[in-house]
Amino acid sequence: MSVQKYKIALLGNPNAGKSSLFNQLTGLRQKVGNFPGVTVERKSGIIKDNAIDVEIIDLPGTYSLYPTSLDERIAVHALIDSKNRDFPDAIIYILDVTHLERHLLLLTQISDLQFPIVVGLNMNDIAEQQNMYCDEKLLSQALGIEVIKINGRTGENMAMLKSKAIDLLQQPISNRQVFYTINEQEKNIAKDVALLLPVRNEYHALLLAHHVKRSTFLEQNIKQQLLQINAKHQFNPINNQLDEIMQRYNAFVPIVNKVLKRSFDNAKTLTDKIDRIVTNNYFGPILFFGLMLFVFQAIFAWSAFPMDWIDLQFANIAASLQASLPDNLFTRLLTEGIIPGISGVLVFVPQITILFLIITVLEEVGYMARAVYMFDHIMQKFGLNGRSIVSLISGGACAIPAIMSTRTISNWKERLTTIMVTPLISCSARIPVYAVLIGFIVPSYKLGIFNAQGLVFMALYLIGIVSALIASLVFKKVLKSTDVSFLMLELPAYRKPHWKNVFFTLYEKVSSFVFGAGKIILIVSIILWFLASFGPSTAMKTAENTAIIESSLMQADSATTQLHIASRKLEASYAGHLGKCLAPIIQPLGFDWKIGIALITSFAAREVFVGTISTLYSIGKDADNLTIKQKLQQEKNADGQPVFSMAVALSLVLFYVFAMQCMSTLAAVYRETKSWKWPAIQFAYMTGTAYLVSLLVYQFLK
Amino acid sequence: MLFGINLNNLTDKKNITQLQIGESALITAFADGQIAAKLMAMGLLPGTTLALLHKAPFGGAYYIKINNHYLALRVNEAKNVLITSAS
Repeated sequence: MSVQKYKIALLGNPNAGKSSLFNQLTGLRQKVGNFPGVTVERKSGIIKDNAIDVEIIDLPGTYSLYPTSLDERIAVHALIDSKNRDFPDAIIYILDVTHLERHLLLLTQISDLQFPIVVGLNMNDIAEQQNMYCDEKLLSQALGIEVIKINGRTGENMAMLKSKAIDLLQQPISNRQVFYTINEQEKNIAKDVALLLPVRNEYHALLLAHHVKRSTFLEQNIKQQLLQINAKHQFNPINNQLDEIMQRYNAFVPIVNKVLKRSFDNAKTLTDKIDRIVTNNYFGPILFFGLMLFVFQAIFAWSAFPMDWIDLQFANIAASLQASLPDNLFTRLLTEGIIPGISGVLVFVPQITILFLIITVLEEVGYMARAVYMFDHIMQKFGLNGRSIVSLISGGACAIPAIMSTRTISNWKERLTTIMVTPLISCSARIPVYAVLIGFIVPSYKLGIFNAQGLVFMALYLIGIVSALIASLVFKKVLKSTDVSFLMLELPAYRKPHWKNVFFTLYEKVSSFVFGAGKIILIVSIILWFLASFGPSTAMKTAENTAIIESSLMQADSATTQLHIASRKLEASYAGHLGKCLAPIIQPLGFDWKIGIALITSFAAREVFVGTISTLYSIGKDADNLTIKQKLQQEKNADGQPVFSMAVALSLVLFYVFAMQCMSTLAAVYRETKSWKWPAIQFAYMTGTAYLVSLLVYQFLK
Repeated sequence: MLFGINLNNLTDKKNITQLQIGESALITAFADGQIAAKLMAMGLLPGTTLALLHKAPFGGAYYIKINNHYLALRVNEAKNVLITSAS
């Protein structure tokens, strides 16, 4: 017997509880990918039922079939383009009973598109707390659609919802109420559209005519013809859209009044009370900055231990493999290229997990929407959107997921600006670089209750934030946009975080870092290992011999000799050559060829800088920051001056604040903007700024 | 029809930005079609009562309550929601 394959889409308004339900329905059998052509996450899961295979697709939440942002548009295209990969055979519609009116709009629209639908009536427990009661049988009768009371958080009635949805696949649609009667003009348009494209019904044809301009799935000549149809009938999409929405409300508001028992008491709800404080003119911003301080404290204080642990484990694995495997090329690739590469990816997991844990919880309880509301106006002044604030904060962990989070910004210019400036926020990969170099800038002493080095650390973060805002201002002036910018943000009622959701979101974000960015970091580290381990063979041999002779002259012990050989060989390698090529360019910044090599290798990920410098100065891999600092302090260049003078260290640290030293971020920007133009501009402006700032600082201080 | 929509921009009408914090009002119409379409999909309909709860700390945004849900609107969005004082 052949297996029939079906698609069921999960659809609803934003904040209807769709992700909880999706997690309940599919558990960990979910697949996260991207919708074709865009990086909006596409989550799907397979349910097996006897002879049929059902793929459940979690479509992005939308308020209606008239989208205003990229992810809403994806949901709508999946429903009106019958060739779309996600065009569903049936729909599970999530209806939030506490916002019945608003959520019925989209339901009546998809009902008029003649999809088989089952409704999951969600949030009944919250309705009960608000003294609301919905008669789902009456609602079902009125709509002509099956309605099942569910609880997305506890999983109540999930099996029933699932089986009803599967039943839909084999049943014809019974008599439904039509909610929108289209007028004469619209009928004529629909007739013409139907001659051009396959359509389900007149309403479907009308939607195709309405959405023609943004319908990327239509061929150019079809688009032209649709536009001609619109012109011929003098179709005014906005007016028709308003008429349609009004007609729908007129049709279903009486239904709501019939099935829903409720009392609007004017008593202050918990959300009212919380927001008197949380969005208060004075306390609101103070709380926000307090939370941010807490976030950074958490990143530093809680992640140190797991990071050291990961580092140590991988060092141990590499060491034991080195001892037990024969000393050949493969072993070296494994222990010097691959394992440190993986370690370099995983070492960031604790920081990224902690930051996203806090951000996800703040999002789950409803706080993030308040932050967006409070700071929208300021963000607007910089050409950003209130929603940019979430991305900028996430940038403190890692720019990659931060850039991916910009997709909720509907205005392209604001979204692009956010993408372009987010990497200026100091991410966790800069921390190890700052930590090593800061010791050369200021000694560790107390300034009142503050540590001087701590203050410099904070200053570096501030420089990152301020420069991101300045860069936004520049992009605001330079970029052109005709898109209308909206805020119109729903502020969801405060609620307890649903830990299962937090877990799933966190799992997704961290794995998108590990497998997305991690892949690139790993590949680049292997390439860089190759560049640093190989060179013209005679040069490498000479380097080794020279190192041995030099060491014996200095009467060095064998460990020191080994370190010295490694350092000399790196100098003779391809990476060394590259570093020396770079030397004349970076010399005005106070950097020598060794730093040049480190700049190249740290293009995989900034923290690689520390490892490369340790090798170059024969410090050894297992040295801690303190040892590295002490060794580096002793390094003198040809004329007896310390290599890492205050001027060089400051110039270098500022270079890392500004420079676009991250391959994976550039790849993420390419994926989001679908063009190499923007990553190229981003690289040029960030690294250009870095060069200028370092140049000025070094020339001024030296 | 339960309620009609008036797209004529009547200058003598009040809009959300003229409300005092804590004040309630009845939505009568919208001044701009495109903004209206989006606002109506979010539950702001002529005939519904709204209350202005807060203004953003640095200005520029309005925090309103309609029935039992909350929305944040920018000045230019709030200006488009025409109202009369609730009786």
